Amino acid sequence: MRFKLSVLTCAMGLAMYANAGAATDIEKLKAEVDDLKQQVESAAEWKKPITLVHLAGFASVGYTDTKSEPGTFNTGSFSPILHYQFNESVMLEAELEFATDEGGNSDASIEYMTIDLFMNDYAALVVGKFLSPLGQFRQNMHPSWINKMASAPVGFGHDQAASNAEVGAMVRGGFPMSGIYANYAAYLGNGPTLEADAGEIEKIESPGVNKDGDGKKVGGGRFGLYFPNQKLDLGISAATGKVAVRSLSGATYTYDDPRDYDVLGADFIWHINTLDLRGEYTKQKYGAQASSSAPDAGAWEAWYVQAAYGFGGAKWEAVVRYSEYDTPQDSKDRNQSMVGLNYLFASNVIGKVDYEFNDNPNAGLTADDRLLLQLAYGF
Amino acid sequence: MKFKTEILYKTMLAATFIAATVMSSATMANEKQSGDFGRGAKAWVDNCGRCHNVRDPKELRDDQWISTAFHMRLRAGLTGQQTRDILTFLQGSN
Repeated sequence: MRFKLSVLTCAMGLAMYANAGAATDIEKLKAEVDDLKQQVESAAEWKKPITLVHLAGFASVGYTDTKSEPGTFNTGSFSPILHYQFNESVMLEAELEFATDEGGNSDASIEYMTIDLFMNDYAALVVGKFLSPLGQFRQNMHPSWINKMASAPVGFGHDQAASNAEVGAMVRGGFPMSGIYANYAAYLGNGPTLEADAGEIEKIESPGVNKDGDGKKVGGGRFGLYFPNQKLDLGISAATGKVAVRSLSGATYTYDDPRDYDVLGADFIWHINTLDLRGEYTKQKYGAQASSSAPDAGAWEAWYVQAAYGFGGAKWEAVVRYSEYDTPQDSKDRNQSMVGLNYLFASNVIGKVDYEFNDNPNAGLTADDRLLLQLAYGF
Repeated sequence: MKFKTEILYKTMLAATFIAATVMSSATMANEKQSGDFGRGAKAWVDNCGRCHNVRDPKELRDDQWISTAFHMRLRAGLTGQQTRDILTFLQGSN
């Protein structure tokens, strides 16, 4: 009897101990669940923040060996892009460009700075200084990690035949059209200015000026169609307005009488398996103005076609490009053929080895060939 | 002839602005659909390689993909729905 009582007492003690252990385990488990809940909530905050800051951009470094000059290392440019976004309705975008010149001096500039209002699923209002929406290269292909060559096609650099940037307002977006997608951009801005020397227009400057010196706006846009099944992009661009010759007089700019200004362009991108084909045509022209210090009309025209073939498990790309640039000044005209080989360390880190064959098509004028090495990084 | 060309450009420009405004007001009242993973995967394949090499969804954090997607909405002329679909795919694959 005493033995049975002892066994019963021990059993009850063990049960109570086990029960106390179970309670501790449940409390532990509850604490872990609470902790997990907090982590999930915290992760959700990162998925849908109300405001967020984001840094992107691109940079390049390289080596250039021009036929008649010694080879030289160069730092290329560093172009951080800042995004400050509020919900899905507003975003500030700014791209800066830092570059070092031959003398080692650094230069900083704002490539674009806009406040974007996403009005609905099909339209966004973009206000500020924006990359010209005319054509594709200047607005979408110029970043060094996107451009498959180490240099821009002739005529598509700064202040050449292709319009660079604009200060104004733009509506842009896209909408579906029975199996294909249309995209558009329409803008009104201050327009470019003309730079003259010795009675001739030296260049059409379109860095995006903060003052409409001639008092006449320039409007234009691009309309594109994308065929997803064919992986084909087609676009046409046009702009019109007035421009004027700008001169620096002391510390202030003065402007000649305005004259006509028109832009026309067309572009395409076509992917066939690992073959990437792209091309673009652009022409800026200005009319005559008898009262101007540079009275003659003129046109700046450029086009290029490029083919890039990916191989070796998408790690290698062989690229060829041909481009032409025609201006009112014979010394600036160029015909350029280019061959290159790219190695993709990652999809956004690209090593390029290119060779440019440059010719001036005008009799008696020449242009140097160049070897270019570049390491480009998009981030 | 030149006068006619200028009138044509300006008419095209005005028509684009009006079309954007009309579409804007017509769709303001509509409820936005949330992103769809399947549609996003297709839109990602169709669109992200148009200009540049396609980036792996794991390269950026979820929040970093948001601004990237909206930046690309402007660059590539994507619709708002395509942007939300692609974002859902990128965040879901991250």
